[in-house]
Amino acid sequence: MTRQEILDELKKVISPYTTNKELLASIDDQTDLLKDLKINSANLVDIIIDAEAKYDIEIDYDSADKMVNVGTCIDVISEKLNQKA
Amino acid sequence: MISTGNDIVALQAINITRTHQPNFYSKILSEPEKKIYADLEYDDFPFENFVWLLWSIKEAAYKHLQRIIPDLLFTPVRFEVKQLIIPAFSSPPAFGIGQTEGEACTGGHQVKGIVSFGAYTLYSCSFISKELINTIADTEPLFDKVFWGVKYISHTDAENQSAEVRTFIMQRLNKVFNSSCLEIIKNHQGCPILLDNKLTSEVPVSLSHHGNFIGYSFKLPA
Repeated sequence: MTRQEILDELKKVISPYTTNKELLASIDDQTDLLKDLKINSANLVDIIIDAEAKYDIEIDYDSADKMVNVGTCIDVISEKLNQKA
Repeated sequence: MISTGNDIVALQAINITRTHQPNFYSKILSEPEKKIYADLEYDDFPFENFVWLLWSIKEAAYKHLQRIIPDLLFTPVRFEVKQLIIPAFSSPPAFGIGQTEGEACTGGHQVKGIVSFGAYTLYSCSFISKELINTIADTEPLFDKVFWGVKYISHTDAENQSAEVRTFIMQRLNKVFNSSCLEIIKNHQGCPILLDNKLTSEVPVSLSHHGNFIGYSFKLPA
């Protein structure tokens, strides 16, 4: 998957956990999940679990704690997809 | 450097079914912590409440340490709850739609714990009601000079939560300091800091919100 394809799917994963749909439509690598999208930290595990299911990957602790903005989320998902390939 | 950390979990906002799934709770609980639950004296303490109690302890500890370790990332399983003292209550009290504020950790319904991250050890004090879990973390077991508050709010959108928690803590700070020149801003790490007459004060503050509840803590210097 290209980074753009991962980004398009990631928007669907994040969507249930943010009310800022306008910003979600225009997110980029620098968009912070907590500060910009106002996602409650209590939903971060939900996003990781949903991403694991969406991409059929396993996200370990070391990788999960890097997922603070959209760019690092795509990095981690891309890395795990490549490991699976 | 003194610090403080708090976290709040609105229990009506959690997904109970998902919380019981091993792939979910295993991202929050370590193996020794799962044993703490298995060894609890009370068999009427719901597992979902245990998972979110530990989440709130870990997040409060993370917020406390974030001020000391600027690049700290929050990995729940790396914050290990070593000890948990849960008072003997058959069912937690209802919080309702009001507010409560206090100082230190002296209530009969509070859960006391010890949480570690690497070489750091902190104490936790959690207030549990039917609707919420609120935790504060401190370096001292008695939480001396730690002020805290919890409040119900009607509107759960992020902008309102943020505005209401700031108003809530400012009311308390203005009373404690008898000053109207205080304001809270966030530093480059995202930690809230208290300004007094535009100058950074020594008083660390921590804010939290989830669903219909907001909470704060701050600690006065010795």
